[in-house]
Amino acid sequence: MKLSEDWLSVIIAFAIMALAMIGLINPAWVAF
Amino acid sequence: MTTTSVPSQPTERKTLTGSLIGLAIVVVLSLVTHYVYNLVQPLTLPGNIPGKVLEYPIWAAAIGLVANYVLKALKVHNQVKSGFRTELFLKIGLILLGAKISFSVLVTSAGGAVVQGLIMVTSVYFFSWWLAGKFGIPDTLRAVMSTAVSICGVSAAIASAGAVLAKKEEITYVTALVIITALPLMVIAPLIAGAINMPEPVAGAWFGGNVDTTAAVVGAGTIYGPQAQEIAAIVKNTQNALIGVVAFGLAYYFSTVVEGKKERPSLNVIWKRFPKFVLGFILASVIFTVGILQKGDAFNTIQDTKAWLFTAAFLCMGLELSVGDFRKMGWTPFLVYIVVTIFNTLLALVIAYLIFGWLMPPTAF
Repeated sequence: MKLSEDWLSVIIAFAIMALAMIGLINPAWVAF
Repeated sequence: MTTTSVPSQPTERKTLTGSLIGLAIVVVLSLVTHYVYNLVQPLTLPGNIPGKVLEYPIWAAAIGLVANYVLKALKVHNQVKSGFRTELFLKIGLILLGAKISFSVLVTSAGGAVVQGLIMVTSVYFFSWWLAGKFGIPDTLRAVMSTAVSICGVSAAIASAGAVLAKKEEITYVTALVIITALPLMVIAPLIAGAINMPEPVAGAWFGGNVDTTAAVVGAGTIYGPQAQEIAAIVKNTQNALIGVVAFGLAYYFSTVVEGKKERPSLNVIWKRFPKFVLGFILASVIFTVGILQKGDAFNTIQDTKAWLFTAAFLCMGLELSVGDFRKMGWTPFLVYIVVTIFNTLLALVIAYLIFGWLMPPTAF
């Protein structure tokens, strides 16, 4: 089954949230 | 797109290498945008313009347009454009934005947004359909154009094109039309809102109701303020959720009335066309509201990542603009689109004030 862009965006967004919440993304790396 | 649309360019090759190079270009340009944005913020520009009014969406779109021109001049745009993923970057960013919006704000705003969306989509769609008919624009093109201007630009154009079996050049034309009108509106609408001291929630609802593509809506909201950004995203996402219903209605009309077929399109099209990322946006808001995600390092990291993704999306808007596609269809559809956009802008202004300023204001932030 081909993964749609919508579902891909959901997976990536929640992966980013999970990584940030367990502290695997250093805030300094992404400071805007 | 085929080579016939831009004869001077080599054949499009959607390869993994091309996509990765395109993506790398977006990453580098995002860093450039961030650098320029931070450099200009504390300055006063010629004409006494404070640098801080030039928010990052403006820089991103402008840098994207310049890069677009350079890549086309070097004849490499077609090879790398599969890495320019406006919609993907935008959708991820919108879900992350959901992680800072209280669920009560989302629900109360979505209530107003549904009312506003139904009024706006119906009025603008049928006005555009009627006007385009008066100017003799073919049914397929006016269906795609009317859906784009009344719902949410590019993705609505693609959804309706599938329903009415529009020609590929009609989709690329409307896509170019959407970006050409949305980019200036992204900058002008916040200026107008500022000039008349429009409250942020009303401004957000206005941007969500009148700017044609979600990226530009979020851009306008970002330029105006954080509350405007949130309400603009909620209103636009609510409007986006109506794509499926319109696609079903169009498929029904074209198959039964225009083509005279007896078979009816399936209701499944409503779910098929429903933008699933909106579910992620709602879930992220719930996660924030129930306290699984609290303000602190993780929260800031998520919101900063969101700003990078929005930067990439605004850059891609500039990078994807294709004037070549636009020129092929002539001026009549363009003029119709402009008139409908003005109608859309004025109607959305009245409706946003009525609903978000008076009848159904969102709960306090």
